[in-house]
Amino acid sequence: MTPTSLNHGASAARPPAAGTFRFAAHTARIPALAGVGFKHTHLDAILADPDPVGFVEVHAENYMGDGGFPHRALERVRQDFPLSLHGVCMSIGGPQPLSEDHLARFKALVDRYEPALVSEHLAWSTHDEVFMNDLLPLPYTEETLNHVCSHIDRMQDVIGRQMLLENPSTYVVFENSTLNETDFIREIVRRTGCGLLLDVNNVFVSATNHGFSPMSYLMDYPMEHVGEIHLAGHAVQEDDEGEPLLIDSHDAPVADSVWDLYSIVIRQSGPIPTLVEWDSDLPDWPILRAEAAAADRILDEAAHSFLMGKSHAVGA
Amino acid sequence: MTKATKTAFSGAVLAGAVAAAISGAQLVTATDAAAANVKCYGVAMAGQNDCAAGPGTTCQGTSTVDYQGNAWKYVEEGSCASMELPGERMGSLEPLERDMPS
Amino acid sequence: MQSAPEKSDLNAAGFRAAILDPVREKPATVEGPRGKQAVKRFNVYRNNVTVSLINALADIFPAVMRITGETLFRDMAREFVRAHPPVSPLLFLYGHDFPAFIEHFEHARRMPYLADVARVERAWLTAYHAADLEPLDPQALAKIAPEDLEGAMFKPHPATGLIRSPYAAFDIFDANRNRETIGRIDVTRPQDVLVTRPGMDVTVTGLPQGHGAFFASLIAGDCLGDAAEAGARASSAFDINEAIGGMFATGAFLSVTTEQT
Repeated sequence: MTPTSLNHGASAARPPAAGTFRFAAHTARIPALAGVGFKHTHLDAILADPDPVGFVEVHAENYMGDGGFPHRALERVRQDFPLSLHGVCMSIGGPQPLSEDHLARFKALVDRYEPALVSEHLAWSTHDEVFMNDLLPLPYTEETLNHVCSHIDRMQDVIGRQMLLENPSTYVVFENSTLNETDFIREIVRRTGCGLLLDVNNVFVSATNHGFSPMSYLMDYPMEHVGEIHLAGHAVQEDDEGEPLLIDSHDAPVADSVWDLYSIVIRQSGPIPTLVEWDSDLPDWPILRAEAAAADRILDEAAHSFLMGKSHAVGA
Repeated sequence: MTKATKTAFSGAVLAGAVAAAISGAQLVTATDAAAANVKCYGVAMAGQNDCAAGPGTTCQGTSTVDYQGNAWKYVEEGSCASMELPGERMGSLEPLERDMPS
Repeated sequence: MQSAPEKSDLNAAGFRAAILDPVREKPATVEGPRGKQAVKRFNVYRNNVTVSLINALADIFPAVMRITGETLFRDMAREFVRAHPPVSPLLFLYGHDFPAFIEHFEHARRMPYLADVARVERAWLTAYHAADLEPLDPQALAKIAPEDLEGAMFKPHPATGLIRSPYAAFDIFDANRNRETIGRIDVTRPQDVLVTRPGMDVTVTGLPQGHGAFFASLIAGDCLGDAAEAGARASSAFDINEAIGGMFATGAFLSVTTEQT
């Protein structure tokens, strides 16, 4: 799906250069259905399910070994399903240049598995040689914006196509930030032509943790560039003041408040491929399948109202 | 230095061993050969790739808090009590539970 | 771990140092929103990094954790993670230094076999991700003239790993990975363990007497005659027919060359 085809709302926020991507949208279109994160324990159940999910997503790094069972499993699901390749460790948000070795490995996966969607994070994880295995935050300044844009340029050059950038869930802010997150992201899209992966749970987690309204964030967010949505469960802890601090834990069902936000997004933007992430305390397949089915119902409703009266939904 | 000195392992002996191995190996496929062909070999972990597949990268945080702590207290909770060392409390070494042919 | 202070707005070196050292202050530029504290907030990142890496080690070394129990394992892994954080984003490459760390770890001294069990587990994961290559076809060896066999040399399959242990590393690994109940194990029996992957399934093999020396010699690049000698020297029970049968059965080798070819 091309990001321009999602341009149904938030037209006022449309940046000047929008729609002029350096990379043609990939020909292997992905339907605007719900997908799931692929785990090997679910392989047989996914293949046997009479009501197949719309697509599967994998973390790219888990398939960067030379061979063996992981590639065998991915080849098998790829036969039956469109694929989203989700990078976790590119460290786009750090100051140092991207690892050329890692870029080459990533490109090899793109070439081999021909994913319909390719994404990475607005975060960093590697400094010098040390890899910290978490999506770490960055201050939003002109300098970090330049770093991020040059890294996305490099990644898109290497893989030869557009990537989607995911908004982070964060627990701290930086005193030296000069831009807010939505302005930062909008400028990245304008400069690099990348698309966006909107993680609605991350919006809710960050909004709660930092005391802003998730709705105002979404109002400011360049929705017309979103090519994929993520949903996931979170955990609740407490900050230093005893107020809720949400952890983006991916170990539980999607929270009701996140479903509500997601419905609002989809009603506004129209159907967008939506992934349910569940990475820890994995449930049995039927439970994960039911989460995806819940997203499909919301996508169906939106598709229906679009067909019934598109012009009313645009509000332009 | 890779050149062998003349030993009990002459070309004829080695060729005989190769021929014997091939005639045995023809009876089984490569994957189960280890179990079927070499009767003296103990084999573990064939065909269990679903478990112990190692770690994967993730993009989520964790709700389990466990980043502190160096309080060393020995907790007898592992299976190490089954691993006998000479001089440990059980004295004599009992035969292996595992059926290892010799 | 000490880097020169960098000029970037994200002080990544300072951030990293604080992540891996829980006693350190959080980075100065990190704060909570609207004047809130950020101690617990920054600790979320410390926790995510530390716990995810400990969990990665627990996934790579399940038998080691079963032997030590979870408390000791996580304490040991936490120290290791801080001393040896990963240097690759590919977590399935992590932990190659863990066996040596265990060997010198004060609180694991009463389990001297533990490091070798960890070596077997690390070799298991390497084999699991190794390239999909067909092992040496026995017919390739049959085609070599008998007089050239002594000088034949073998290239190991990328999945192949050999652990030569003064302890019963195979029995301990097997019992702790595969068995619900563990009987008493005589750990003082030396065992050599060969890890291979002839197809999709990782195979862990406890080698008969003398075969460890034989395989070690071949893997080191010695010719077949010398390897057979090494096997015979290591054990009077060494049987060359059985050893060559083992080469094919385990799929430990990829190709063969002779001095003539």
